[in-house]
Amino acid sequence: MDILLVMCLGILVGRFLFPQKAKRWNEGASLLCTLVLIFSMGAMLGRKEGFFHQLLTLGAQSFLFFLIPTVLSIVVVYILTKRFMKHPNQDEKEEEA
Amino acid sequence: MIVLFTILALLLGLAYGLSGLELPLLTFFSQHTDLVLYLLMFSVGISVGMHRGLFRKIREYHIRIFIIPFGIILGSLVGGLVCAAIFHLPLGQGAAIASGMGWYSLAGATISQIGGSELGSVAFLSNLMREIFSFIIIPIVAIKLNYYTCIAPAGATSEDTTLPVMLKYTNEETVVLSVLNGIICSFFVPILISLCFTTP
Repeated sequence: MDILLVMCLGILVGRFLFPQKAKRWNEGASLLCTLVLIFSMGAMLGRKEGFFHQLLTLGAQSFLFFLIPTVLSIVVVYILTKRFMKHPNQDEKEEEA
Repeated sequence: MIVLFTILALLLGLAYGLSGLELPLLTFFSQHTDLVLYLLMFSVGISVGMHRGLFRKIREYHIRIFIIPFGIILGSLVGGLVCAAIFHLPLGQGAAIASGMGWYSLAGATISQIGGSELGSVAFLSNLMREIFSFIIIPIVAIKLNYYTCIAPAGATSEDTTLPVMLKYTNEETVVLSVLNGIICSFFVPILISLCFTTP
């Protein structure tokens, strides 16, 4: 819930206060925060006792437990969104890029 | 490029964790990830707020806003059942592991307590893989399928760690749907794990 409140605050700042020309800085900040989070996750895993042993012994089973549910989620969401939702204009993003 | 940076950050983090070093700045960040997450959400909020007319579009979805989380939950549960059949596990246990939907810390800890450390480790690793591989899958799905489907691999993580990738490869509308999806999926993760374990 805290996360949602912080995001709402960000939305208000973005809507009323944040200058358009600083948009790139904000994107950079997002990326930096993500990288710090991923780094921290790696550090946490590196410190976890027996992590690599677990990865070797249960890796294949875990991989299938990741792969099959993820692929099926993608398939189901693709079918449902294609059928029931309007498609966002992907050209807009391509033009921006 | 963002994917490479992500993988590099993960590898550096692993190396740092393994080395046993305690550099003050890095240790501070790795022990205060909640603050970094708040910063990230604030920054994402700014991006969303700068997009004019976005909430009018979101309102137009109405009940259809639940389509994506419903699809993710359904796909994950069916996937868990398939895995259970492959590995000759009770169906409920397979479904419980897949119900983590990328929330590896919660799924790992909860399933370890209910089903033992081996099952907990599989839950932890598989959900961790879901989060990590999402960084690679999202850009591909954005090109090959559609923006909405990018939310599917991220599952419950679509409101935090995978959000910047979403912002980079999709649009603001999908980012808002992504946050809502993350909240809904995160809400259901503990419920589904408990329910699945009570199922034989």
